[in-house]
Amino acid sequence: MSDDGSLIFLLDVSTDEAVEAELLCEVQECHINDWMGLWQPAMAKIRAELTARGIAKEKLPQSGHWNWARKIDEVDGLLDFRSFCITLNKVTQGLMRTDISQISQVGRIDGQKGKPLVYVDYLEAAPWNCSYHGSPVLYRGIGTALITAAIGLSLKEGYKGRIGLHSLPQSNDFYAKLGMTDLGPDAKCQNLRYFEMTPEQAKDCLGEE
Amino acid sequence: MKRTMTLNLTDAEMRVLEDLSERKDLSKTAVLRQALRLYQRLDARVEKGDKLVFENDDTNEKAELMIL
Repeated sequence: MSDDGSLIFLLDVSTDEAVEAELLCEVQECHINDWMGLWQPAMAKIRAELTARGIAKEKLPQSGHWNWARKIDEVDGLLDFRSFCITLNKVTQGLMRTDISQISQVGRIDGQKGKPLVYVDYLEAAPWNCSYHGSPVLYRGIGTALITAAIGLSLKEGYKGRIGLHSLPQSNDFYAKLGMTDLGPDAKCQNLRYFEMTPEQAKDCLGEE
Repeated sequence: MKRTMTLNLTDAEMRVLEDLSERKDLSKTAVLRQALRLYQRLDARVEKGDKLVFENDDTNEKAELMIL
């Protein structure tokens, strides 16, 4: 992964073929504009459709209230935050903000307690890339690509692939399938489940021997 | 792009750096980059008027750290 960005592949669900996308190590104004102009209307439409179908409020998309403009602006210029985005066809397909400071988050698993890790503050795929109660999906692989980027950042910073995050309930299965260790609900973080990845799990996730 | 510089440390400072490097499982360079990031973040908060307070959950003790 270079500082400028790198080529990745996503799965185009309509054709079942891999398509080229770009992973960028910076969220720029154009990506925030996509979030405001494309993501938010799409999310509003999905929520309206699900509500009309009688889907309970707690089962609606859980990241819909995230304000990426604020999340990126509040860490602007700070060295201990890194933001990533994925674009395809000049449209932002996924966003992630990470914290590498160790101020509030360090390793918790036995054997890596107190050791530094990349903490994934926020990770979100565009609404059209998420399946909510059967809604169609355009591209797959955004979450995996962003987590891979977080592992890459961890390796680059000398953290040996260690990452950690608190998961929204709708994403618990995804992080478990990536091989992260589930340390259970964290009373200090709205009872969200805390997941952590060890260097060995990171190697497995990257497909390394 | 990365840049290189020479850093002069006293024996005591080097011992602290080596100890942190060992305990945190980080290279000495990574420790110093970490320290710079932390200093920048704390400085930004203090400049905004925030206080830096340490709190012990077990004893409920609070202590304010002054950054000059």
